[in-house]
Amino acid sequence: MASKNILVKVNSLTRIFDVSKPWLNRILEREKKQFLRAVDDVSFSIIEGESFALVGESGSGKSTVAKMVVGLLDPTKGSIIIDNIDISDKNKKEELRKLRAEIQMIFQDPFASLNPRWRVDKIIAEPLKSFKLEKSEKQISARVDELLSLVGLDASDGRKFPHEFSGGQRQRICIARALASKPKFIVCDEPTSALDVSVQAQILNLMRDLQDEFGLTFLFISHDLSVVRHMANHVGVMYLGRIVEIANPKVLFENPQHPYTRMLLDAIPDLEMSNKERKPIEGEIPNPIDPPSGCTFHPRCPYADEECKIKIPAPINIKGIMVACHGVARGRIPAKQ
Amino acid sequence: MSENILDVIDLSVEIPTRHNILKPVDGLNFNIKRGEILGVVGESGAGKSMAGNAIIGLLERPAHIADGEIWLNKKRIDNLPAESMRKIRGKEIGMIFQDPLTSLNPLLPIGEQLTETIIEHLKISKKEALDRAITLLEEVRIPAATQRINAYPHQFSGGMRQRVVIALALAAEPSLVIADEPTTALDVSVQAQIISVLKKICKERGTAIMLITHDMGVIAESADRVAVMYSGQIVEIGKTYNIIKKPRHPYTVGLMGSIPALKGDNERLVQIPGSMPRLNNIPPGCSFHPRCEKAFEPCYNKRPLLSKIGDSKVACWLYDEGYKNG
Repeated sequence: MASKNILVKVNSLTRIFDVSKPWLNRILEREKKQFLRAVDDVSFSIIEGESFALVGESGSGKSTVAKMVVGLLDPTKGSIIIDNIDISDKNKKEELRKLRAEIQMIFQDPFASLNPRWRVDKIIAEPLKSFKLEKSEKQISARVDELLSLVGLDASDGRKFPHEFSGGQRQRICIARALASKPKFIVCDEPTSALDVSVQAQILNLMRDLQDEFGLTFLFISHDLSVVRHMANHVGVMYLGRIVEIANPKVLFENPQHPYTRMLLDAIPDLEMSNKERKPIEGEIPNPIDPPSGCTFHPRCPYADEECKIKIPAPINIKGIMVACHGVARGRIPAKQ
Repeated sequence: MSENILDVIDLSVEIPTRHNILKPVDGLNFNIKRGEILGVVGESGAGKSMAGNAIIGLLERPAHIADGEIWLNKKRIDNLPAESMRKIRGKEIGMIFQDPLTSLNPLLPIGEQLTETIIEHLKISKKEALDRAITLLEEVRIPAATQRINAYPHQFSGGMRQRVVIALALAAEPSLVIADEPTTALDVSVQAQIISVLKKICKERGTAIMLITHDMGVIAESADRVAVMYSGQIVEIGKTYNIIKKPRHPYTVGLMGSIPALKGDNERLVQIPGSMPRLNNIPPGCSFHPRCEKAFEPCYNKRPLLSKIGDSKVACWLYDEGYKNG
């Protein structure tokens, strides 16, 4: 079993985007600057060798978290500590350079994330070259062949271009590229949402096998709750830039605490064919530029009261479940039948 | 009540190319009854959208219907000239596409788009058409429809836009609605709302719906019957419960097994090796045989036909009496 080392620790991460109109328009139209809090006070940690998943609907800020964790975006506030190194600490250039090789990312669209003019072997060799992990050309090509066979492709596929592959095979190439620098930590942003279910099953199985083999740690971003349940050890549910609940997926699916999680789980079409009556879902995600006060979910929440409209709920811990809800804290919310 | 709204008989679509003729749809047979939702599932490239487009007469050249017949309300529509087909489209067949933003004109208020369609097909006055438009928007559960009738598409969220598209499809009270991936671009919670709207109109108006999707969950929630497509053919068709709980065709079995479960243990997913064949390289015999674990001698060169097994119809040699014992 995996040791209980915390590999990734994210502390009150916040990212604010300036979405104001240009200066002249603001003056002429007498408008103030506008800010979008894409990610607001998000904290979680990932244990080495485990998978942590962030789920949420579009606009909940999950991809922004992913980008900050890999260093593609700077956080406005908060810190990200990976392998005991704060990645925003600019004084530790040398250590950070080493750390970069240990963090890799797999993107959603395998059509857009591979250079169409490069052959596959060049694509996979790029991290090896840029991190100077293998010395000679011979070693590099041996390693590329090894990586290709690891993800279930043939060594001869290295001479082909990305357009010669199907979506699932391209995602395998992306995985091979991510594995090239022998990372510890891989951030997967919707890795299977562009794929058909039968191909998705192949990729998910492959990712789990690789995790078992190399002890990889995953941060898994997805909107698909069934995929998340299948892959993750812990799930964080995001709503409007905040994490509302973190729990073990089995616990989360059987006994969701936060009203939003309940609503989300109730909305998934299941294959049980139980013909159960669903509670109609009220409303949609509000505009993140002008989010509701207090708990951002209160306008859609059936249990909301005055406190929810004023105060942002602090996360509390109940039996290993982290949940940010006044109703749960006060015991106002009835247990799920 | 159980009259057929749509009858599709041996429908084939061909695309001639420089080298050969591609067959994205190959011998489809199905019907949809009044007030029934028929789900059509399959992975990308299965030909489900092509079949939908063939029925509404929106195939893009050089794709064309090569064989077969399409009957709508006891009227043959596959051989009609473009002009008469244009009148049927919108009036007798409504359409809902995947991306609501591209189905709506961004420069016109939604009220205008709705009344335009209503007046074109129903020949009523502008005032009556506007009332009707508001009723339609209320029917698809758009809050404050009277105030929002003059809003532009960009002022609506994705889910609201898709409701407008549904209202547009229903504008002339069509007897058949073809919904091509209507919820694919939407979040789960919005998807649930759209599904319930579709079910409601189907029940209340008796509209027949052909629901094309790749999402088995959507089908399980809404469809009465399901047709599973693979490389241009229906491999299995039957009641939704039977297809989901007792899949018979090896492809359907694999497809169901590859969906991560929401209950129970996280055992390994069933995976079907390989992927859907390309149109220029469809294997002979049963087109699924290179990916099928149970393939045996007849599968390699003889194409199985849909035949009745229990309540469903399955196209697979495994269930053929002649081969069962041999």
